[in-house]
This record gives sequence, structure tokens and C-alpha cells, in this order.
Amino acid sequence: MSGAAPLLEVRGLGKRFEARAGRAEAFWAIRDLSFSVADREFLTIVGPSGSGKSTLLNLIAQIDSTTEGEVRFRDQLIASPTAGTLRPGWDRQFGYVTQDDTLLPWRTLLENVLFPLRVQNRLSTDMRERAAGLLHAVGLEGFERHYPHELSGGMRKRAALIRTLVYDPPVILMDEPFGALDAQTRTQLQEDLLRLWNLGRKTIVFVTHDIAEAIALGDRTLVFTRAPAHVHSEHAIPLARPRDVASIYTVDGFADLHAAIRKELA
Amino acid sequence: MSPGRAVRDRITVAIAVLAAWQLGTLVFGAHWVSPPLATGQRLLQLLANGELRRHTEFTLAAAVGGFLVGGVPGALIPFALRRASRLAAILDPYFVAGYGMPKLALAPLFILWFGIGLASKVALVGSIVFFLILFATAAGVRGADRRLVAMARVAGASEQMVARHVVWPGAVPYIFAGLKISLSYAIGAAVVGEMISSNRGLGYLIQAASQDFDTTTVFAGLVALTVLIVVVNELVQTAERWLLRWRPVDAQPEGRLVTVA
Repeated sequence: MSGAAPLLEVRGLGKRFEARAGRAEAFWAIRDLSFSVADREFLTIVGPSGSGKSTLLNLIAQIDSTTEGEVRFRDQLIASPTAGTLRPGWDRQFGYVTQDDTLLPWRTLLENVLFPLRVQNRLSTDMRERAAGLLHAVGLEGFERHYPHELSGGMRKRAALIRTLVYDPPVILMDEPFGALDAQTRTQLQEDLLRLWNLGRKTIVFVTHDIAEAIALGDRTLVFTRAPAHVHSEHAIPLARPRDVASIYTVDGFADLHAAIRKELA
Repeated sequence: MSPGRAVRDRITVAIAVLAAWQLGTLVFGAHWVSPPLATGQRLLQLLANGELRRHTEFTLAAAVGGFLVGGVPGALIPFALRRASRLAAILDPYFVAGYGMPKLALAPLFILWFGIGLASKVALVGSIVFFLILFATAAGVRGADRRLVAMARVAGASEQMVARHVVWPGAVPYIFAGLKISLSYAIGAAVVGEMISSNRGLGYLIQAASQDFDTTTVFAGLVALTVLIVVVNELVQTAERWLLRWRPVDAQPEGRLVTVA
């Protein structure tokens, strides 16, 4: 991971939320945050809830403005306090799978999956086939014409995931995408994600508060402090791939890593 | 309650209303309260000689015309102002003042400006519908789900696409709420305009008949007006159900004003 120039670099990043009516004081969600992500790396980030992890992804995705420091992508400055107008997704370089599935309730499952291609003006037969393939890969075929409210939570998460994969952004940001699911569905989705990631390795920045998830999925994991968040420590995850998420607990080295990170978070 | 049962019970209520009406005739005299049967006969008469159609068409034209003249800009302006928060903030107090102004007080002015024909009624209806739809749509645009907007932007949607695919569908329920409220106001304003000065329309029919002490025609006009409102309301509801077909069944727009669970 070291050696090659990083794909994504965060340097001295800080985000302060100003005081507002109803919230007494301004506070720093992130401060002095630095790390980098290599091309095709699966980076996971764990931290206590409310530790600014979502804020970090919002800054990288350019949904929110930066107060301090900078984010560089392919050695190009993309976010800094002086960077000017936000460009969400940085020209489709960043896909973002959020905590809530953010499917459009007035569009069917298929229309939702095709939505990025539609707004990017890239709806072709090839792309439709690609979408159909992804729908198949996560077991959603047959539900194309259903509206989101007619689908289960797990199905909506899968739909949100492949909606991002379908347009193939080089970096995918994931903010506790499997947070609200039952344990079994969650494991299934983690396996789906690893399988899809294996097919066409993307760079993934995956935020979670679940240590086991961070270990099971990542090449490397960063442990964040409480807000204002910065990197407390970093752990390489030397577990062999492909991994079996369901029995990851039994793999050599898992328990030690889990215990170490757990202690840091306490 | 089963649908068949509901229909049966509604017919029972209708009979009760007609009976009460008839009772009113007996108590106050047919001169003041025209009996249901005579009113029905007069309606048929007006229908046969084309008078009813002529007046209804005029009222409907005023209402629909006003809806277009007022409702279309009312629905578009909040979208135009969505990305212009400064301009929106500047205009806001003027919109509030315009909304608060009792538009019926403008009727004499509109008649001066546009004459006693259709144009003055369209202007009156339009001035009312404009503000109702404007505020309803503005609430819908403001209420756009920020998470969905952010998602669409990250996926590469332009501002127009965000407006079209995310903000607009989210605002439709609000716009329909505004539409339904505007509906009775619109027809009401058309009728008032006709009463003040006109030679056509259901408002004119009612006004003229009352001056002749022709209560039967007044009642016939009122019945026609009620039927008109119910029919138009039904059309709007059908359109709404179609546009909002993506909603879960239990969140479907309710057709009734008062619902007892």
C-alpha cells in the first residue's frame, strides 16, 4: 500500500459547524484529520458514533464545505476552504452509498438503479444490460417494477448499492450502509459487497461503528477518536481473500485485531 | 364498511336531506324555499333550453382560465426561486401581502380594467389561485428531501434534473393540496365576479333570478353549482391518484374531507 502515490489524500482536514438557534455552540466534528487511500484499496473506518465519520464522507463527496485542510484526488486539490463552489461527486468520480437508502419513492426499483445513468445521459442498451446483471447478482431480478416501499430493507440497501455500482465511479464512499439491518441480511449484504468488489476492484472508503464489519471487509482500518475526529490508529488487516464473512470470527488473527481495536475505542 | 353498504347509506342520507328540504318548504312556504321537485323540474327545463349549459360553460371557463393564468405561474415561480434564495427572500413579504389581500375586493377594479366579460372573472380567479398554488408549491419545494437532492447531485444530476426528478415529484402532493383548496375558491370567485357584473354564468343566473323573486331558479342554480364543484373535484382527485400512484396504498390521498376511522 505504501510506495505508490495515493489515489485519495486527506491532509489536516477540519470541519466546524457554526452555532445555530437551538444548538448552543459551534463545534468541530473533524480536526487535524490526515490519511490516504491507495488505488483499489478497501479502507474501513471505525469510530464511536457521532465521531464525524459521516461528515468526513460528506466533505469528500463535496456535499458539505471544508473548514480547514484539504482533500486531494489523483494529486489534484478537490476540497479546501478556498476551493470555491462544491462539485458533488467530483464529476462522477465518487459514488456515495449513505446510511438511508435514498431511493426515489416515486420511481420503481429498475428506474432507481438506472437513475444515475439517466441523469448522466448514458442510458444505452449496454448499460441496461449491466444494470440487469447487477440486479441479478444481488438477487433482485423479478422486483424491477416494484416501488421502494414495496421492498424489504435489505432489498432497498441492495438497490442503493448497485445504483452506485452501475455507473462505475472509481471511488465509492459508504456510510454504514448496512447499519439498520438484521444480522443475517447484513452478513448476506457484506458478502454481496465483497463479491462485487472482487469482480471489479474499486477504491472503497467504508465507514462503520461495527469493529467486526471493519475487519471482515477492509484491507486496512482506521480507528477514529471521538469528535473532533482524527486518526487514533491504523491497522493492516492481513486476512486472506476471498473471505467468508459468516465465519470470519474463526479466522486466525481476527480475535486479536478485534480485541485491539475494541480496547482503543473504549 | 363495505362499498355497497356505503352507497346504500349515502342514498339514505340523500333522502333525508331532500325530506328536510321539503320540510323547509312546508314551514317557510314555497316562495322562500323552492321545493325539491320544482327545483328539479326547473333544472331539467334549463337543461332542455340550453340555458344551464350556457351559464355553466361561462363559469367553468372563468374558473379554468383563472386556474391556468394563476396556477401555472404559481407552480413555476417557487421552482425558479429555488436556487435564488436572495431574490426569494426579497420577494417573500410581497407574496405574503398579496396572499393576505382579500382578492374579492379587487373585483370592481378588474371589471373596470377588463370589462364585464370573461376576462375580468379570469383575472379575479387567477389572482386568488395564484397565491394559493404559490404557497402550496413553495412549501413542497422547501420540503424537498435534502438527502435525495444530495444523492442526485453526487450521481451527476444537473440542477434542472434535480428539479425535475427529485424536487418536482416531491412537491406534487403539496401542489395537489393547494389545487383542491383553490378549487372551491376559484369557482366561488368566478360566481362572485358574475354576480357583481355580468350577463352570463351561474352567478349571473342566480343573481338575476333572485331579483325577479324566482326562488326556484335560484335553487336550481345552486344545485348546478354544487354538482359542478363535485364533478371538478372528482376530476382533480382522479388526476392526483394517477400522479401519486407510487405511494403506499395506506398513504393514498383520501377522497373525503372528513373521515371517521
